[in-house]
Amino acid sequence: MKDNYSNKHEELMELGHDPVPGYRPVFYVIMTIASLYLALILIKTL
Amino acid sequence: MINALHPALIFIAGALLIPLLKGKAKSAYMLLLPALSFMNLLQIPAGQHWVIGFLDYNLTLCRIDRLSMVFGYIFHIISFISILYALNVKDDGQHVAAVLYSGAALGVVYAGDLFTLFIFWEIMAVTATYLIWARRTRASSSAGMRYLLVHLFGGLCLLIGILLQLHNTGSLEFSHIGLNGLASALIFIGFGINCAWPGFHSWLTDAYPEATITGTIFLSAFTTKCAVYALARGYAGTDLLIWIGAAMAAFPIFYAVIENDLRRVLSYSLINQVGFMVVGIGIGTELGINGAVAHAFADILFKGLLFMAMGAVMHQTGKINCTDLGGLYKSMPFTALFCIIGAASISAFPLFSAFATKSMVMDATAKDHLTGVWFILLFASAGVFHHAGIKIPFFAFFSHDSGIRTKEAPLNMLLAMGIAAFLCIFIGSFPGYLYSILPYPVDYQPYTAPHVMAQLQLLFFSALAFTLLMLSGIYPAEIRAINVDADWTYRKGAKAFMWMLTNPMTKLGAWISRTVFELIPSSLGWASKNPVAVIKIAADSLLLKFAVPEKRDEIKMRIQREKEIYPGDIIRHWPIGSVVLLAILFFLAYLLVNYMTGAKH
Repeated sequence: MKDNYSNKHEELMELGHDPVPGYRPVFYVIMTIASLYLALILIKTL
Repeated sequence: MINALHPALIFIAGALLIPLLKGKAKSAYMLLLPALSFMNLLQIPAGQHWVIGFLDYNLTLCRIDRLSMVFGYIFHIISFISILYALNVKDDGQHVAAVLYSGAALGVVYAGDLFTLFIFWEIMAVTATYLIWARRTRASSSAGMRYLLVHLFGGLCLLIGILLQLHNTGSLEFSHIGLNGLASALIFIGFGINCAWPGFHSWLTDAYPEATITGTIFLSAFTTKCAVYALARGYAGTDLLIWIGAAMAAFPIFYAVIENDLRRVLSYSLINQVGFMVVGIGIGTELGINGAVAHAFADILFKGLLFMAMGAVMHQTGKINCTDLGGLYKSMPFTALFCIIGAASISAFPLFSAFATKSMVMDATAKDHLTGVWFILLFASAGVFHHAGIKIPFFAFFSHDSGIRTKEAPLNMLLAMGIAAFLCIFIGSFPGYLYSILPYPVDYQPYTAPHVMAQLQLLFFSALAFTLLMLSGIYPAEIRAINVDADWTYRKGAKAFMWMLTNPMTKLGAWISRTVFELIPSSLGWASKNPVAVIKIAADSLLLKFAVPEKRDEIKMRIQREKEIYPGDIIRHWPIGSVVLLAILFFLAYLLVNYMTGAKH
């Protein structure tokens, strides 16, 4: 089986992920709530 | 006497005939090999067969029991699927190596003694190396050599361990060994290297992505799973394995998330999944062993499916990096679908295979009250969904449009992926069939409301985390680079070692060489021309250091004169009276020694 290298297109050196405005605060808020919730569950369980 | 052949024989003997056939006859013949071998296997009853004498020992070439049979079944299934996937390969060498490799893997799982196991173990190492080299790139050549060196080292540990074990116990039987001394530790390490334990794992992430497209499918199925089998047979219930397995399950996640090469992501994922199996073996309970074996069975299928999907992408586009791919779902819809089924299976979605197998290991961990390990495995479960469940299909088939337009994968590849995908769903939906062939009776029900709900929560929250990480721009960028982990030792460490050899050590060597072979011999040669004069020059030089100022000029002139006339006339420096005195002193010393030794007697 031979690798087919016939596809010519622009090859990226880096595939970055640009932030969509407004989502970073959402991420931090959800992460904080989720972490606190999990910590509470853990404390109650252990 | 049984009317059957050794389980590995049809593969090994059959492989040698492959180059003699052409076209469709060759394809049919290759597909027939696992089918015939499977039918042959079913004819062999449980027990030990083909026990032969070797030197003063008995070798058991075949031992059939429930543990070996599970691995035998899945090895036949994946061989058939992999051969079907590889039918359009024109390189006979690859076919022969792959079928020999499959046969050797069967030889390992059916070996009843350690020596037979070792022989098949080494055949696997050599044939696997060929499957890496067969890609014929510089990277594959180097990776193959590193693979071979690591596995030869592992084989050496195994061989020394086996010989010590033979010396200690007088038996070559391969049954439970347990960690109880140097011999068992060396065998343990030999198995561990093939199992890709942390620190010993980099051969896997180094070599598998560099192997041929079809070679990687075979490689992903056999080497690590044979090691899992060997550990389950020889080291079940070894506590150390619990922590080794937990580390294996957790650490690859971090590397897989930042990795650009999708086949390397799957290689890290392979280590992650083997970690679950190793934990199950370490726990050693019936549920733990059943879970490890069931998960090995399922993993061979879904990991093979994912490697096949990525292989199909690579075959059609020539690309495998996240930075190059994306948006292929329109060009390769069936491959995308099969990839998603593999991703759902490895992520343990309900109705997909790992849901019914991975949870057995998790349950065994919980029942043994291993809370810390249970949390690590939970984290690993979320992580595997992140990097294998989402990343693989997302970056290959969706994400940004790479602009690549291609055709769907060849029919044989699609058929192979289709069979694997079907089995992934079948095992997940009807796990009872798999449970019925496991080593111990199964009293486990995966489809309970709490389990399904808990798993769905884990998966959906992981998906939410991935989505938010992407949208908030926190998800790490895929970069065209080599991420170094334990391979630092030979990528950077070996480089530093070579620098040390070629710079300071070379200078030190040159200095030693100059001093020992040039300076000292030439000085001795010079001094030997007139040792008395040399002593005199040395004495005068010493005298010069301590001389009063008014005597210094005189001593300096004397030294200069002595050097000018050196070596001069040796007799002039050696008056006859001194020679007589020296002879008398030697004579007295001789008498003294003679008297003392005589006095003792």
